[in-house]
Amino acid sequence: MRLSDLIDTPVTGTDGTELGFVIDVRCHQDGPIRGAMQTLRVHSLIVSRTHVGSLLGYERRQQQGPWLIKILVRFLHRHAFIVDWDDVEREGNAFRLRASAQPRPLPE
Amino acid sequence: MTTARIIDLQLRLLDRQVIDTDGKFVCNVDDLELDVDEQGTPFVTAILVGPRALGPRFSGRLGRWVVAIATRLSEDRSTEPLRIDYRQVTEIGNVVKLARTKAELGVTPLEEWVDSRIIARIPGSGHAPE
Amino acid sequence: MSKLLNLALGVLTAIGGFVDIGDLVTSGVVGSRFGLSLAWATILGVVGICLYAEMSGRVAAITGRGTFDLVRERLGPRAGLANLTASFFVTALTFAAEIGGVALSLELVTSVNYLLLVPWIGLVMWFVVWRVKFTYLENTFGILGLALLAFGVALWRLHPDWSNLLHQVVAPHKPGTESLQVYFYYAIALFGAAMTPYEVFFFSSGGVEEKWSKKDLAVERANVFVGFPLGGMLSLSIAAVASLVLLPAQIGVSNLSQVGLPIAVAGGKILLAFSLLGFVAATFGAALETGLSCGYSVAQYFGWQWGKFVSPRKAARFHLVVLLSLLFAVAAVLTTIDPVKLTEYSVVFSAVALPLTYFPILVIANDPDYMGENVNGRLTNALATVFLALVIIASVAAIPLMIWTKAGQ
Repeated sequence: MRLSDLIDTPVTGTDGTELGFVIDVRCHQDGPIRGAMQTLRVHSLIVSRTHVGSLLGYERRQQQGPWLIKILVRFLHRHAFIVDWDDVEREGNAFRLRASAQPRPLPE
Repeated sequence: MTTARIIDLQLRLLDRQVIDTDGKFVCNVDDLELDVDEQGTPFVTAILVGPRALGPRFSGRLGRWVVAIATRLSEDRSTEPLRIDYRQVTEIGNVVKLARTKAELGVTPLEEWVDSRIIARIPGSGHAPE
Repeated sequence: MSKLLNLALGVLTAIGGFVDIGDLVTSGVVGSRFGLSLAWATILGVVGICLYAEMSGRVAAITGRGTFDLVRERLGPRAGLANLTASFFVTALTFAAEIGGVALSLELVTSVNYLLLVPWIGLVMWFVVWRVKFTYLENTFGILGLALLAFGVALWRLHPDWSNLLHQVVAPHKPGTESLQVYFYYAIALFGAAMTPYEVFFFSSGGVEEKWSKKDLAVERANVFVGFPLGGMLSLSIAAVASLVLLPAQIGVSNLSQVGLPIAVAGGKILLAFSLLGFVAATFGAALETGLSCGYSVAQYFGWQWGKFVSPRKAARFHLVVLLSLLFAVAAVLTTIDPVKLTEYSVVFSAVALPLTYFPILVIANDPDYMGENVNGRLTNALATVFLALVIIASVAAIPLMIWTKAGQ
């Protein structure tokens, strides 16, 4: 599969409500060594309701100016959360949170 | 918490500049290929390059059109994009560094075509201006 | 070369290279109709470009990459492509306007019809891009551009009432004969002429060409904070002499010779010769910059090898894009469109494209991933945010005002 297949996938809650879509995939570099480095294994999904400003990093990092843009982006992503890969299951074209899922707000 | 390095794929890896072992610009990370391991966890296996990788990321007609043209013009006539295996990656920082040279990787066919058919034919193209 | 000499060279190049056909024409037109009552727009534009050029130069010195390189990484490929398309269109338009400017300037010198000169200019330009080293290119045309100091000399020779001029600048008063919407239309035009989008992308790509590193930051800042304002003063002096000679005589500026008319009046064939040299150098230098910028932006979006610091064969697609842009620009001028009108359009469209250019630079200069500890300070951010707001206002108002005033009638 490609990363672009994962990004934009809708994410629904346990009861089927739309929570947003995948805006990024968080990996940990903890796999076996392949070539020069350890592989990047998918650990969690970052979910939000918009893509706008998601590449600027403001919703994930603490210090970053300018202040006005940071406020705007944080506002746009106020519903964003992060959920572990093991806590979602594929349901058709979307990901559904498992009952045991513990989504966490950003920044972590 | 983990001590392993955390990398958000779209924020830190996707669309990054890729440079070869000589420091020359190769391409951008146009997409990433993932495979699934024995535990069912996906992991990154390759960097995908070129219009057949970038095209599908554009929705609608523009994306399909780009892929169709690139497929028609490619040597293998396939819709599969050019690929740099993850094993070639030596560093992920502001740029992605690779272990091979541009020529060895073979992921810049358009550059090579423009070079051999057009640029190389113009006198003075072989060395940097001094 | 000693450090001081290097610094001086950089500053002089920045001064002489600041003015392009957009500044020449717009300042001349504005001076002949509004006197110095729009000087505030030029000054505002100069402050803006100083702020953002410093940022984009810092990005180049710290990351070793041009700012357009980073636009796709920070805005995503779709927004990045929209940005590229708009920037490329405006830069190519400006490229055509600059070539028109070179042709008009050479027409003033040789009395040969400018259309006949255009193909030759294209050929020489391509040769310079192909074979001349980047630093020579920048330094030569920058230093020769200092010939535009003829306007400063002319201003002094015209014995103006300095206190009156100063009063016009600090207490601007719109002339009664011009409407408010035309006044603001030209304010936006001056703003766009001072803050041309290609300038910041070129400045940072040029920094990479010249292999700036962290230790070059002081020199880079001197170039920007000393060179650009002094270059802006050249623009103001063009408007000032126009206000002294053309405005009272109700002479409008519809071609380049009228911009130089005040110099002829101020006296001296030598001064006029210098001003013509300045015209040719400034427009030719700016044409090279816009042409290269067309290549830089496309190559950087796609991740191709770019730059004059490698052989053309190693940056084949980049050179092809520059060549195709040159052919387009030459063809555009050869359609016999009025080069002065073309310049006015390029300046207004530059104003429209400004937010696309400036927003990414502001964000990238704040990103600790790229800049480490060299991110923007609070003051820089505060000023830059204000300018971003101004730039957005100018961008949104530009086209409606252009339509409303029929491009400044």
